[in-house]
Amino acid sequence: MTTPLSRRRFLAAGAGLTLASTMSACGSPVVASLTGGQPATADVIYWHLFGGGDGVNMATMVDKFQKSTGISVEATLLSWGNPYYTKLALSASSGRPPDVAISHLSRLPLLAQAGLLERVDGGRFTSAGITQDKFTPAAWSKATVNGRVYAVPLDTHPFVLFYNVALARKAGLLNQAGDDLKPMKGRNDFVDAIKAMKDASGEFGAVCTITADPSTCWRLFTMLYRGVAGPIVSDQGTRVTIDRSAMEETFAFMQSLTGKLGLMPSNATSTTSSTLFSQGKVGFLFDGEWQIPTYRGVTLANGKALDFNVVPFPAILGPKPVAYADSHSLIVPRSSGRSAKRSADGVRFIKGLLNESAIWAGGGHIPAWLPVQQSKAFLHQKPQSNYIQAAFNAVYDPVAWYTGAGSDFQTAMGSVISSVMTGNTSPKSGVDAMTASLKQFSTARPPVD
Amino acid sequence: MTTSALAAPATGVNTDVRRRPGQAQGGENRSGWLFATPFLVLYVAFLIGPVLIGLVISLFNTTTVTSGLGSWVGLSNYAAVLSNGDFWASMWHSVLFTLLTTPLLVLLPLLFAVFASRVVHNRWFFRLAFFAPYVVPSSAVCLIFAFMYTPQTGLVTNAFGWVGLTAPNFLGTTSGAWFAVVLLTLWWTFGFNFILYTAAIQDISEEVYEAASIDGAGPWQQIRSITIPLLRPTMSLVLILQVLASLKVFDQIYILLAGGPNYSTRPVIEYIYDTGFTSYRGGYAAAATMVYFVILVAVSAGWLLVRRSRTATAANA
Amino acid sequence: MSATVATSRTPSRSSRRRGTDAGGLFNRLAVTCLTLFALIWLVPFLWALITSLRPDSEIAAHPTRPWSNNWNLDAYRAAWHSTAIGWWYVNSFIISTLAVIFTVVVCSMVAFALVNLNFRGKHAVFAVILAGLMLPTEALVLPQFMEFRALHLLGTYWGIILPAVALPVAVFVFHAFIKGIPVALIEAARLDGASWWRIYYQVCMPLCRPAISAVAILTFITSWNAFLWPLLVLTQTKSQTIPVGLSGLIGGAAIQYAQTMASSVLGILPLLAVFLVLQRQITQGVANTGIK
Repeated sequence: MTTPLSRRRFLAAGAGLTLASTMSACGSPVVASLTGGQPATADVIYWHLFGGGDGVNMATMVDKFQKSTGISVEATLLSWGNPYYTKLALSASSGRPPDVAISHLSRLPLLAQAGLLERVDGGRFTSAGITQDKFTPAAWSKATVNGRVYAVPLDTHPFVLFYNVALARKAGLLNQAGDDLKPMKGRNDFVDAIKAMKDASGEFGAVCTITADPSTCWRLFTMLYRGVAGPIVSDQGTRVTIDRSAMEETFAFMQSLTGKLGLMPSNATSTTSSTLFSQGKVGFLFDGEWQIPTYRGVTLANGKALDFNVVPFPAILGPKPVAYADSHSLIVPRSSGRSAKRSADGVRFIKGLLNESAIWAGGGHIPAWLPVQQSKAFLHQKPQSNYIQAAFNAVYDPVAWYTGAGSDFQTAMGSVISSVMTGNTSPKSGVDAMTASLKQFSTARPPVD
Repeated sequence: MTTSALAAPATGVNTDVRRRPGQAQGGENRSGWLFATPFLVLYVAFLIGPVLIGLVISLFNTTTVTSGLGSWVGLSNYAAVLSNGDFWASMWHSVLFTLLTTPLLVLLPLLFAVFASRVVHNRWFFRLAFFAPYVVPSSAVCLIFAFMYTPQTGLVTNAFGWVGLTAPNFLGTTSGAWFAVVLLTLWWTFGFNFILYTAAIQDISEEVYEAASIDGAGPWQQIRSITIPLLRPTMSLVLILQVLASLKVFDQIYILLAGGPNYSTRPVIEYIYDTGFTSYRGGYAAAATMVYFVILVAVSAGWLLVRRSRTATAANA
Repeated sequence: MSATVATSRTPSRSSRRRGTDAGGLFNRLAVTCLTLFALIWLVPFLWALITSLRPDSEIAAHPTRPWSNNWNLDAYRAAWHSTAIGWWYVNSFIISTLAVIFTVVVCSMVAFALVNLNFRGKHAVFAVILAGLMLPTEALVLPQFMEFRALHLLGTYWGIILPAVALPVAVFVFHAFIKGIPVALIEAARLDGASWWRIYYQVCMPLCRPAISAVAILTFITSWNAFLWPLLVLTQTKSQTIPVGLSGLIGGAAIQYAQTMASSVLGILPLLAVFLVLQRQITQGVANTGIK
C-alpha cells in the first residue's frame, strides 16, 4: 500500500469524484437525504394518482402551467388507493411531503384530523382568488373539516347513467329533441325504462359491475339508499345509523333488478360490463363518468360508431335525485421546512390547474371551479355538461376516519352489497351483515381524537 | 423477506480473555468499554429502543403520523387486537405461508446440495443458477413473476397448458395466490439454504466416505447413513432460520398481491402496516406488534431450549 | 456449530465418484436432475431479459415466443427516462456502502474488545448481544418509525443506515475470527507498547479480511435489497432505493410489458454483476455468516 497510486486509491478517488459530482448537482436529492434538508428537485413537487387518460390530461395541464409560468413542476404518479394515501401520510410525517398533492375528498377527514394538511382558506389562497364562492358548494363543504377548509376541489366525479342512444330510441325512451331521456321519476318509471331497454336489446336492460368490484357496488347502493335515508354512520363514524327498513327496501330493489325481473346480469365483472355496453347489447350502464373515455370511438359489429349518452340518475327510491360522487382535490401537506417561495409557487400551481380544468373535464369530470364550469370551454363538452346538476346533488361517503375511495370500508360494504345482488344473501340478512360489518369499524377506536 | 442470517448462538462460548485471567485492569477496562460503546449505543437505541417504545405506545391511543402519545387507554388495545378476527386471520396467513414454504425450502435444497456434492465439473454453474435469485430485490422478483403469472399470456400460465393442466387464476383467487407466492419464494430464496447445505457437506471429511465406500456402501446408503446424519445440525439451523424468516414474510405478498384477493393472504406485518400506517392507528398496531413480537421471540427461545437440552443429553450420554 | 474460526474452506475437493456401477448411475441421475432444475431456475432471468428486448406489439401478439424479429433497446431508454432509476441507483449505492463501512467498523470493534480485553460487565455485554440474535427487528417497524420521527431522521439516509449497523450476527462472525488470531501476536504488539487501538487497527483488522468480506457482503446484499423499512423512511421520488422505486411500477403500467421488464432488469443488474464477479466470495461469505 505504499505505491503512490495503488489501484485501490485510484478506485477510491474515482468513487469520491463521482460522489462529489452527484452531491454538487443543484438541489440534489442526495444532499437532502444526507443532511436532512428539504427536497428541492423542482419548484413544485406534486404527487397524483392518475394513470390512463386522466394521467395524460394531467400531464398536459402540468406542461401548460410550466410553459406559461416558468415554474418547474416534478409530477409523480403513485399507485392508486391505499398505497397512495399511506405514502402521503408517511411523507408528511417525515417532514418531507410534496408541495401539492391530489386527494379524494372522501379521504380528507383522516388526513385533516391528523394534522397533516395546511388550511386552504385564507392567506395566499384568498389573495389568489381561491374562495368559497367560486366552487361547487357540495364539494367545498366536503372539503371542510371541523369548520376549516383543507382541500381545493378540482372536480366532482359522480356515478351516472350511461345509455345506448340507438336502443333508447328503439325503446321509445328518448325525448322529442333526441338529446336526452324522457323525464323519469320514481322506481316504477326507472324499472319500466330498463324493461323497455331489455326488450329493445333482446339481452339485458342494464348492466353494473357486481363481481370483484366492491366500490361500484357501494356507489350504486349509496345512490339508491341515500334517496330514502341518511348516512349509515354518523358522529365521525362512531355511531351506526342504519335505517333498517330503508336499507331492506333498497336491497330488495337492487336484488329485484338482477333477480326476479332479470333485467341485469347478476355476475357481471368489469369486463362483462364494458363488453356488453361497447357491443351495444345492453341499454343502460351504471358506472362512474370516468368511464366515458373507454367508450369513445368504439365501433359496433355493424361498423357504426357506438352512440351513447350520459345523464344523471333520476330520483329512484326517494323524492329527489341523488348523485353518489367523489371529488379529486388539491391539498398542501403540512411541512415545517417549506419556504415561503415554495408555498407561493404551490398556490400558483393549484390556481393554474383550476384554470386548466376544462382539459381535466375531458376525462368526464365536472370541474369544481365555477369559472371553468360555467365557461363555454366546458359547456360545449358533451356529455359532460349533461350532468352538472349531479355535482350539486352530490352525496359523498359518510364522514369517518375509515371511509373513502379505495378504503377497506368500501370493500367491506361492497362485498355485502355484491352478495345481495347476486342473490346469495336475502335483503334482510344483507342488512344484518352490513350492520355487523359496520360495528367493527365504528367500535374500533379512532386514531385521531 | 430478507433472510438475513440469524446465527445459531454458540452454546457455551468461552468469553474469558484468553490471556491473563483475573481482575480487569483500569486501562483495559476503559479501552474495552470504548471499543464496545459505538455498538452498544446503536444497539440500545435502535434494537432495544423500539421494543420499549412499542410497549409504551401500545398503552396509548397514539396517532402514527403525528407526534405525541395521545390518550392513555391501558390494555384496551391488547384486548382489541386479541379479539380481532382480522388480526388472527393475518396471523394464520403468516403461519400458513410458513407451513407451505418451510418443508420445501428445508428439504429441496438439501436434496440438491447432496446431488451437487456428487458433481465434479462446473459446480459454479449450479451455484450461480440457484444462488443468483437471492441477490435480486424483492420488487424485481415480483415484477417478473407478476408478468409470468398474467392470465392467458403469462409464461407460467401457459406452461400449465403445455403439460395439459389448467392454470389457476394466480392473482385473483386465494389458492392461486398462495401457489404464486410459494413458487416465487421457492425460486427466490432456495439458493440461500442450498449454499448453507453445500458448505456443510464440504465440511464432512472425505475419509468417512472412503471408509464407507470400502465397506461397499452404495451412493444412496452413503447419503442416508453418513451425509444426512452429519447434516442434522445444519438442517436444524436451516429449519429455524426458515421458520423465522417465513413468519416475517411481507415483501412478496405485499408487492405481488397487496395481501389480496380481499385480504385472504395478508400476513401479520402487512396487517400492522395497514392498521398502523394506512389508518394511523399507532397504539393499536403497536399492540399487534408486541403480540407478534412475543410469538417470534418464543419461537426462537423455544428452539434454543430444545437445542440446549439436546446438547446436554448428548453430553451426558 | 461451536464458534470455530471461519477460515476459508477448501473450495473444491476431489471426485466423490466412487467405483461402483450404482454410483455411476446415481451420479449421472443427480447431474441430469440438477442441470434440469438449474436451467429452470434461470428461466425468469432470461424471460425478463428477452421480454425487455422485444417490442410491445410483438409481446401482445405472441406473448410466449422466446425470439423476436425486432430486438431493440427502446424499453430501456423509456424505463430510464420515465423513472428516476438513476437516482435510485445512487441512493441504494450510498446507503449500502455506508451501512457496510459502519457495520464492519462498529461490529469488529466490539468483537475485538470481547476477545482481547478484560473489562467489567463483559459477560453481560456478550449475553446482551447474544440475545440480540433473537430480536425480530423487521417486526418492530412501527415503533421504530415513531422513534425515528422523534429523532428527525425520517427522510434521510441515516434513518436507514443507523438501525442496520448494530448487527449481532456480524459481531459473532468477527468474534469467531478474532479468537483464531494467535495470542502471541497481540502479546508481542502489547510488549512493543502499542495501544489497543493500534493493535485493533494494525494487527487485528488486516488479519480479519475473510471475516470483513463476509460481513461486508452480507450487509451489502441485505441493505441493497431491504424493502419495508426504506419504503417507510424514504418517500420522496428521487430519494428512494431501487427496491422501493421498482415496487411502484407493479400494476402501474400493465400494458408496457417491455418497459416493466427493462426496469426489473436494470434493478437486478448491479447486484447480479457484483455477484458474477465475486461469486465464490459471496457464497462463502453467506455460508460463513449463516452457519456460525
